[in-house]
Parts: sequence; structure tokens; C-alpha cells
Amino acid sequence: MQFKRLISACLALTAIPTLALADSSTRVALIPGGPHPYFAAWEQAGADAAAKFGLGAADYKVPQKWELGLQNQMLESLVTQGYNAFLIFPGDPVGTVAIANELADTGAPVMALAGCLKDPSDAVFCMGTDTGNSAYLGTKELLKELGAGAKIAHFTGFLVDPNTQLRIDAVNKAAEEGGAEVIQVIADIDAPEPAEEKINAYLAAHAADVDGIITTAWVPAVVASSALRKIGDKRIKMVGIDHDEVVLKAIKDGFVHGTMLQNPYGQGYIGSYAADRLRSGCTVKADAPFKSNALTDKFIDSGTVFAGINDVDDYVGSMQAITNTLFADFESTYLDCK
Amino acid sequence: MSGTGQEQSVGIPPAEQASSARLTTLRILLSNEFGLLVLIVLFAIIFSTISPAFLSKFSLYALGRTSAVNIMIGFSMMVVIITGGLNLSVGSIGVCAAMFGGLLMQAFAMPWPLAVCGGLVMGAALGALNGFIIVRSGLHSFIITLATMSIFFGVMIFLTRAESYRDISPAFTSFGRMKLVGIISPLLLVSALAGVLLSVLFRYTALGREMLATGANERAAELSGIRVNRIITYCHLLSGVLAGVAGLMLVSRTGAAIPSMAGQLGQDWLLPAFLGPVLGGTLLTGGRVSVLGTFLGSFLVTMLTTGLLLMQVGAFWMQTYLGMLLLAAVLIDMVRRSYLTRRKLI
Amino acid sequence: MSRRFWETDWFGPLMVIVVAVAVVSALNPSFLSPFNIQVLLLAIAVNAMIAFSQMIIIAIGQMNLSVGAIGGLSAIAFAGMMEVWGIPWPIAAILALALGVLAGVANGVLVALTGISAFVITLASLSVYKGVNLGITEAQPFYKIPDVVKGLGNDTFFHPLPWLIIPCVLAALLLWYLLNRLPLGRSILAVGGNEHAAELSGISVRRVVIVAHAISGLLAASAGIMLVGRLQLGQPTIGDDWLILSFAAPVIGGAILSGGHVSVAGTLLGVAIVAIFTQVLVLFNIDPFLVQVVLGVLILWAVGVNRFREVRALKHSAQVAS
Repeated sequence: MQFKRLISACLALTAIPTLALADSSTRVALIPGGPHPYFAAWEQAGADAAAKFGLGAADYKVPQKWELGLQNQMLESLVTQGYNAFLIFPGDPVGTVAIANELADTGAPVMALAGCLKDPSDAVFCMGTDTGNSAYLGTKELLKELGAGAKIAHFTGFLVDPNTQLRIDAVNKAAEEGGAEVIQVIADIDAPEPAEEKINAYLAAHAADVDGIITTAWVPAVVASSALRKIGDKRIKMVGIDHDEVVLKAIKDGFVHGTMLQNPYGQGYIGSYAADRLRSGCTVKADAPFKSNALTDKFIDSGTVFAGINDVDDYVGSMQAITNTLFADFESTYLDCK
Repeated sequence: MSGTGQEQSVGIPPAEQASSARLTTLRILLSNEFGLLVLIVLFAIIFSTISPAFLSKFSLYALGRTSAVNIMIGFSMMVVIITGGLNLSVGSIGVCAAMFGGLLMQAFAMPWPLAVCGGLVMGAALGALNGFIIVRSGLHSFIITLATMSIFFGVMIFLTRAESYRDISPAFTSFGRMKLVGIISPLLLVSALAGVLLSVLFRYTALGREMLATGANERAAELSGIRVNRIITYCHLLSGVLAGVAGLMLVSRTGAAIPSMAGQLGQDWLLPAFLGPVLGGTLLTGGRVSVLGTFLGSFLVTMLTTGLLLMQVGAFWMQTYLGMLLLAAVLIDMVRRSYLTRRKLI
Repeated sequence: MSRRFWETDWFGPLMVIVVAVAVVSALNPSFLSPFNIQVLLLAIAVNAMIAFSQMIIIAIGQMNLSVGAIGGLSAIAFAGMMEVWGIPWPIAAILALALGVLAGVANGVLVALTGISAFVITLASLSVYKGVNLGITEAQPFYKIPDVVKGLGNDTFFHPLPWLIIPCVLAALLLWYLLNRLPLGRSILAVGGNEHAAELSGISVRRVVIVAHAISGLLAASAGIMLVGRLQLGQPTIGDDWLILSFAAPVIGGAILSGGHVSVAGTLLGVAIVAIFTQVLVLFNIDPFLVQVVLGVLILWAVGVNRFREVRALKHSAQVAS
């Protein structure tokens, strides 16, 4: 039904010149939750997709702060500005549903990117990293190195973000399965200063008690990498997240075991492409092979891979390979085009 | 709500009591409310010239809806500022009230009017608790509410484990999406109603006047028989209720009660909470309040953000422009007043 | 004599620290290990700068909401100048400090000349400075920090004393000297105590306000620069988190928010209290969902102890008087 509404809305949209702004070309907006280095690749991805597929625009629009209210206001403003497709990183998996539905009601395809909206929502699908699964896989990689009986610490982000609870649960689950024990969770360290303070304090007191560290947010990964380098301890194994230079360099130098890479470029590129296809008459297949995660049943994994010391140098290449594979049969797998 | 009607002041110089028509006009022209109106009109003209979409129906509707919540947040801070205090925990209280309302609707399947009342009671209770601690300890409200901001929010996060409540009655959430006459959100009417009630409180009731007297000079108020401690507690209670209203308005708009709606520790609300009252001419030292000013001030700030977003100023620079516009707004207002005073005095 | 000792601002916080250290080290001996002390001192060194930056403004009876924004802007300017223009680090540091002073002076001039409350001015300038920070960095950190800076940010010159403690001690001594011995310091406190009276007694209130904001900017900028060394990268988010701490520490240390009375030693101890308790929460593995609650209760408790001491002192002096 949702798809039917989408088509009719798309048709209606092309009929209303005020909203379509002179021509009916697709104007995609890529909106992260706030300023963050993770999303920087979206800008290039959007520009590349716009050039390659002849979109009217695929612009990267950043809310100035990590505020749900500001992101909502920005989305409303983008509608007024004539954007007609939205790729959104939900500021909150539940809190962003209402505005996403309102955007979908204007006839624009709406996709959740990098993070998912909680079902039910009018988003066409969610393409991103399965946050829980990534934390689970990362812990598995760590335990592969450490073996059973290991004691690990988990450093993660803001507790108001429901994804944080998913990550905590996933790490605990992986640890349980691997016979390891999560001896401490340190959260709410998305800002560099508290992260520095708490992680160093932890290592000062407990460096001897812990065998491994898993980090599931950007800033804790960076700070923990520096901290391990600082104390020069190569006994403690750590698995980080994302591709910050500090983390990558620590992997090369042997202070960090590896990192869970995500694929922001692929999300932006394929997302922009999909938005255009959906606006030009394609629909999502009724039997599309979506995956399920803790939030939604319409999930497309944009890829998450573990990069250890051997993969760091070519991490861009390995992510591009994933993007290409996903892109090659994206249309035939997920879309129904006339 | 008309002209300077909302402006309340304790200790107006007697000279001004003998108000000739000229003096009255002067006072209207000099008032904050008039200045804000001028600024709102001025910026509306600028924005709509640069980007005509600013005046589109959807844009106006969205502006009204967003400003409604900001206005309510501004009111919540305003009623504490008049006592010369601050309430940093507005965001925390708002989220706690909203989450409690959500809990009542989802887990106890209460009809929404009851759940809303429950949420407001929660807001009132937390606000009263603030007031009680402040009065009892004799410490500055800044430091007390700084601590309770962490405590309220922390307890809420601990109890809910950051899970949202989504089972909100559709009748209640329809408020957040409803459009009256095409462009007006019912939420804006709620804020306007709250504004009218607050002006009545401060203008016509003994309680309101006692609140203002307490803010103007606590000692003098005490000596004149006002039970200052009780009044301060009432102000914080009222602040809690208004924060609760703002929180529940957001629930109605997002269709869910979510812990992150005011950011970490509810800090996202602090900026709108202060900007509205301060731009509106409520003195931070207390004793003076302008309900209409807060209303217009909050509206102006929301409008500036909307306008800047629409004009697509260099993405990452927006905050700079917003800051400069705020400075400009404050300075223009100051220049206007000093110009008018000087001309009349010469 | 003992009564005066009992009445000082730093006595209450000091007692809190002594008790806390005794209890914690009894429960967990690693708390007093040299490495842990180093970690603690590093946290205190930077946080003290942040708290001093706010304290000097509290002294004149105002608030500076833009300390974090100034600190963050100076931090990324420092890191950016070294990475993009290849400027040697001492010069970059001086330029970044100058930028901090400039930002502070801008605040001060606007407050002094317009007479608009500093709260409003710094609320607006907070947006401006943070916006410039984001405009320059586009939220991307600067990574190329020279090893010397990284070393200064993390190493010790005399185990377990980190290098960063030096600017902090220096700032504390200078501020104490300024506020207690120099005419300018007395003017600052006089303006905070009663602006009108200060004006009448011939103090140039405008000049004092501008100087206080300049000092605040300088201190915020040093905190930012020190953090670049400590974090080993120029994070644009530096400073976002400072506001609560910047007020909590001076107030725990006995500062009066309406102005005219601050205590350098008290502020330093206030910073130490916050740092110690942050560490304790990690040491004892408190449920992360409860950390915020515990921190809030601690602030209440710390200021409560202070207040209790004040009331006792008042009663005591009343008894003496009668």
C-alpha cells in the first residue's frame, strides 16, 4: 500500500509545478544527524551520483548541532526549498519517524541512511550498518584473538541514543557466546574531553585486569587508540570502529588489533541512485530480500568489514569493492522498474 | 494580547504615572514588544524577498509549529527568571514529564487527557522539588538546578533504559499534525493560551504580583508579609508544569515519547529557554516580566533559524550567521530605544 | 585563628577531597598509583583552566557562556595553523592564545559598550565562535600534531607530574596574585560586588569588564590548546562540554554567582573534586545509566557541605558577637 501511495504521490508531485521547481528532476538531500566526520563521504558520494545519473542535485545538508529539533527544522526547510528525495540519518530512531512520514506524504522517497528508523515508518528502506551486528562482529573478531575466558571492556557513546543499548546488548551476547566476560561498560563518552578522562582513568586502574577493549563509537575509538599508544601496552587487544586516521595508524603500529569499517560513501552513492530510480517510476519489489535488525524489517546492509593490520592500507579499496557489488545488482534485487 | 499590555513592572517611577497620550505612545514605541515586532516584520521582509518560499503555506505552518514549542520552553524559564533565579533543568523536567505521560499511555493504557495530566503532575512535582531544595538550602538556583538536571535525567534514563514509548493515542498525536486554516498548528494556540493565562496571572492576581515583588526585592517582599519561600517554590512548580507542557507538545508532534528529544541532559532546550525571555525584555535579575515579549522573542529566534536554513547560507557557517543576527537584533533594539529616548528628551 | 581557617572557602572542598581520597584509596589501592595520579593531574590541569576562565567572569558578576566556544575555536586554530600552514608550534600557540584574547575582548567590548547583559552577548557570540569553528573544519579533526606538542600534552617532567600542570599552576598563582594583590584585581572584585559603587569610587567599569573578558578568553584558549596536546588531535568538538564544569567548579569552591567573591584555591579544589569523582565512578564500575545521577548528587552534596559550613560559621560569629 505504501508503494501505491508513493507512486500516486510521485505522480501528483510532477503535476504540481511549485514543488517540482521548474523541472521534475530529482533533487536529493542527504541529511546527517549533525556535524560528524563519519558523514563527510556523503558529500562526495552525492556529487558523484548526481553527475553519473544526471540528478538535479544531491546535496549534503548538515544540521549545525546534534539536535533532533534542528534536524526536523532543517528537513521542513528542505521541503520548502524544493528537494524531493530525502536520505536521512535519523537523529532518533523513533523520534524521526513522524517527520519522515510527513516528508513521505509530500510524495518524496524517504530512506533511512547509516542508521535505521524503527518500524513502522514510511521510509522506503533503511540502508546502513547494522549497529548491533557490527558491534557483535567486532567483539567476535576480538575474541578470535583473545580466546575464551577473556575479560573485555566496552567503550560506547551517548545513552540517550537507543543504538547504544543495542550495542551494549550485542557485545554482551558475543562475549557470552565466546565464553568471555564484559567487565565494564563506559558510556556517554561521545565528547573528547570526558572520553579522555574516563578511558585514561580506567586504564590507570584496571589495565592489568583487562585483556581486550571493544569500542563502538567514533570518539571512544579514537581516544582509546591514543591511550593504548600512550601506555605502550600491546598486550591489551582492541577492536575499534570507523576509519579515523588515529585508529588506522594505531592499527598499523600494532597498538590496535583492528577496526570495524562502515561504508558511508556507498550509502550516499547508492542511496542517491535509488532515490532517482524511485522517482522515475520504479517501485520497491514486494519480495525484495530485505534483512531484519532490531529496528526494522526493511534493512539493506551497506557493508561492514573488519580491517586488521593487513587490510588497513587498502581499506578504501575494500569498501569500494563492497559498494560495487551492492550497486551492480541493486536494481535487479530491490527494485521493480517498468 | 495587545501592545505593551503584558509588561509588568514593580516600582514604576511616579513621573510616568501621570501619563499623557504622548508619554503612552512613547512607552509603546520604547517597549521591547514593539521592537521585537519591528524586527520580526523586518526579517520577514528580508527572508521573503530573498527566498519567496519563506511565505509558502508549509513553511509558515512549520514555523508556527516549531516556535510553539520554543515559546513554551521560553515561558518555562521566564517564570523562574522573574524571581531572579534560573532553571537549568527545564529540558530534563520536560523530558521526564513527557516520558511519564508516554508511560501512562503505553503501559497503563490511560486515555490521553488523563495521561497528559499525569505528565503535568510529574513536571509540577519535579519543579516543586527544585523549589523546595533551593528554598531549604538557601543555595543559588543555578547550582541546584545544574545538579537536578543530571539527577532527573539520569533517573529517567536509568528507569527507561533509553527506550521510547510509541503507543501514543492517535487522538493526541493528531494535534501535532493538524492544520487549522491551512497554516496554523493547534500547538501554537496552546502556547498562545498559556501566554494569556500567564499574563492574567501576573497582571490580575495577588499571587502573580507577589512573584514579581519577590523577584524585585526579596527582603522587601519578606518584610511586607509575602511568604517568599513559598512563592519561589510556586515559581519553580509552575516552571515544571510549563516544561511538561512543552515536552508533551513534542510528544504530540513526534508521535512518541523519546528520551533524546531534548538532547543529552535536556541541554538542547537551554538556548531557546533563555533567548525568548531575554530578547523579550525579562530582566535576568528578576522582578520584571514580559509575557508577550517572551512570546515574540521565541518566535523571532525560530524565524531567524528557519530563514537562515531557507537561504541556504554556507552549510557549516549557519551558526555563525545565527549568532550575528542575534547580536544584530539585540543591538538594533538598543539603538532604536536610545534614539527614541534622545529625541524625546531633546 | 582556627575560626578563620574554618571559614576559608577552600576548607570545605578540601575536607571533601581528603575524605574521598582516604575512602577510595582504602577500597582500591591503585587509586594512588603514580600513573593514576598522573591521569588525575592531567584532567585537573585542563579543567582548572576552564574553571578559571569562568571564575574571572563570575568575579565581575557576569557569566560567560562562550568559554567552550572560544576554547574550541582556539584549539582548532592552533591545530589548523600547524597542519595547514606548517607554522611552528610555539608561534601557533601564541597566535591561538591571541585569538582567544581577541574573542574575549570582543565579548567584553560588546558588553561594556552596549550595557546589554553578558549572558545575552555571550549566548550570541557562542554561536558565532562555534559556527566559525565548524565553518573552518567542516567537523573534520586536524590530525597532524607535532610530536613535541603530543609529548607536552601527555608526558611528565618529573614523574608523576605532567607538563600540563605547569601552565595550570602558573595561571593559578598569577590569578591569585591578580585578585589579592593588584589594584586591577581589587577593581574586578569591586565591580562584581557593586558596579555602581565601583563606578562612583572612580573605577572605570568598562575597562575592568573588557580586561576580565580578555583574561577569560586567554584562559579558555589555553585550555583548548592544552587539550589539543592531550588528545593529540584538533577535534572540532573540543569545548562543547565545558559549560557545566566551568560553573560547577568555581561554585563548589565558594564563588558567589552574583559577583565580587571568588576563590582561586577553592576553584582548584572544586575541579579536583569533580575529577576525583569522575574517576571514582569508573573505578567502581558504576552502572553507566546511573553515572549522571551520581554526579548530580555529588554536586548537591559538595555545595551542601559548603553551605553547611557557611551557616555554622555565621551562627558562630553571631554567638561571638552576642
